[in-house]
Amino acid sequence: MTLLDAPKSTSVPATDGRAGSPGRRRAGRAGQVLRWTALRLLALAVLLVAWQAVVAAGVWPRVLVPAPAEVWRALVRASTVHDGVRGVSGHLLVEHLAVSLRRIALGTGYAALAGVPLGLLIGVVRPLAVVLEPAVTFLRTLPPLAYLSLLVIWFGIDESPKIWLLVIAALPPITAATAAAVRGVPGDLVEAARALGAGPVSVLLAVRLPAALPEILTGIRIAVGIAYTSVVAAETINGVPGIGGMIRDAQRYNQTDLVIAGLLAIGLSGILLDALFRGVERAAVPWRGRA
Amino acid sequence: MPRAETTGTAGAAVAAGAVDVELAGVSVLYGPAKAPVTAVEDVSLAVTPGEFVVLVGPSGCGKTTLLRLVAGFERPATGTVRVHRKVGVVFQQPRLFPWRTVAGNLAFALARHGVPRAARAARTEELLGLVGLPGMGGRRTWELSGGQRQRVAIARALAAEPQILLMDEPFAALDALTRERLQEEVRTLAAVTGTTVVFVTHSAEEAVLLGSRVLVMAAGPGRVVEEVAVPLPRGAGVDVAALRGAAPFASLRAELSRATREAAAGA
Ligand SMILES: Nc1ncnc2c1ncn2[C@@H]1O[C@H](COP(=O)(O)OP(=O)(O)OP(=O)(O)O)[C@@H](O)[C@H]1O
Ligand SMILES: [Mg+2]
Repeated sequence: MTLLDAPKSTSVPATDGRAGSPGRRRAGRAGQVLRWTALRLLALAVLLVAWQAVVAAGVWPRVLVPAPAEVWRALVRASTVHDGVRGVSGHLLVEHLAVSLRRIALGTGYAALAGVPLGLLIGVVRPLAVVLEPAVTFLRTLPPLAYLSLLVIWFGIDESPKIWLLVIAALPPITAATAAAVRGVPGDLVEAARALGAGPVSVLLAVRLPAALPEILTGIRIAVGIAYTSVVAAETINGVPGIGGMIRDAQRYNQTDLVIAGLLAIGLSGILLDALFRGVERAAVPWRGRA
Repeated sequence: MPRAETTGTAGAAVAAGAVDVELAGVSVLYGPAKAPVTAVEDVSLAVTPGEFVVLVGPSGCGKTTLLRLVAGFERPATGTVRVHRKVGVVFQQPRLFPWRTVAGNLAFALARHGVPRAARAARTEELLGLVGLPGMGGRRTWELSGGQRQRVAIARALAAEPQILLMDEPFAALDALTRERLQEEVRTLAAVTGTTVVFVTHSAEEAVLLGSRVLVMAAGPGRVVEEVAVPLPRGAGVDVAALRGAAPFASLRAELSRATREAAAGA
């Protein structure tokens, strides 16, 4: 990061002969962020114009491809109380989103609680790996919609099958990332700990686990992404409130604008959450890439 | 991980004529079983308590391999390894835990050694002072220079108060002044605490200054070819800095250089 930024900051004309001074570097970075933001906004504008042009050209019927303004109106309608109706199906868009986010958080949270210890064990206990690794891979390849039926038979149509579905979807990436990370811990550090009198448990918890933390956090971030893509499947049955349920209802009534509004809500919140997670990662493992 | 046979308990009184480390007819093979590389061949060696044994020899002659055998990180293909007291290691690289601060790295060792939490801060400061890094406990390990990291590694090894200290070129990355200071500290510390040391270096000067006995090794395959006794005074009151200028020091150093050259030529 700093290595990549350094040449750029020094390319700023140096009036005082100290081009690499921290103040200047910070200013250079802020300028860069501004430029990137401008670039993103520009791309967005281009996209909107192209979208509007396609709609105006009338290539496809309005029911299939609504105009940006219609999607905007759907967004506003879903986010306000109008004619005595609260948003969509009695819930505001943010409420649908919040319910889904809660499911994603619970699903990924339970998956992390189970997946990290499981990955640790798989990473260090060979016989366990032989048995459990194929099982984890098996789980990973299953499409959520396929096991939803089973979960509904077992747990009904309330909250629990939805959480279970997300746990099953989020567990494999966390477990696999943890197991791989724990195995990849440099033998040097393990030896150093042993030489200081650390036993196997202490090596696992005080050396392998922290050394693997960067990859474990990345695994959890990926799992959150997978839970995001699975939440619509989880909310296929009795999914309202919930952003996935809302989208399914909108589809049933051919409300294309509302479907797109829902997709926008999912995608944008996903970007925010991912950025948040990267920040947490950076704060939790400041040594990443430096040792 | 194969642990070398360890007998006796930490802090046990050592009888006269006892040995701390015994290697008997030890060979180590690396690489695939079909085409193994002999790293060391038929090395026999006994280190008595309180001895300061220095290993010198060309790169690749198996010095690190011998230390790894004693530390229990390597199993001999033939021969036996016996280690009778608690071992500590200063590796060729610092091997600090980057997720812990400098003090955290020392705390890891102190905790394993059974030092109560309340006593750790004072002990940490004491150890950091010893290696010339007072007040650096809060620093992140990646913020340190290479030499500073190596000094933290030395402090961390000392924190566990090993009775047998294995040091693999511990001062190679240090500036001359710090190296001289640490050489003096380690020499005195070993003499005062009765710690047995097995020390690897490439410097004849360092070998003669520190060692009570210097083993000269040769490569291809690695073996001990000569032994030089160093009858310089040891103990708490010895002025180590003055030793450097003394006449016996210079002649011992010349003798060791000659032995090392001969070993390299004969290999
Ligand atoms: N893990 C390993 N796998 C294969 N060969 C190894 C391994 N470790 C060491 N060797 C070989 O064993 C021999 C002895 O290595 P060792 O590290 O003990 O040398 P050294 O005397 O410590 O050298 P240096 O002074 O460069 O540190 C070398 O020929 C080396 O190539
Ligand atoms: Mg070596």
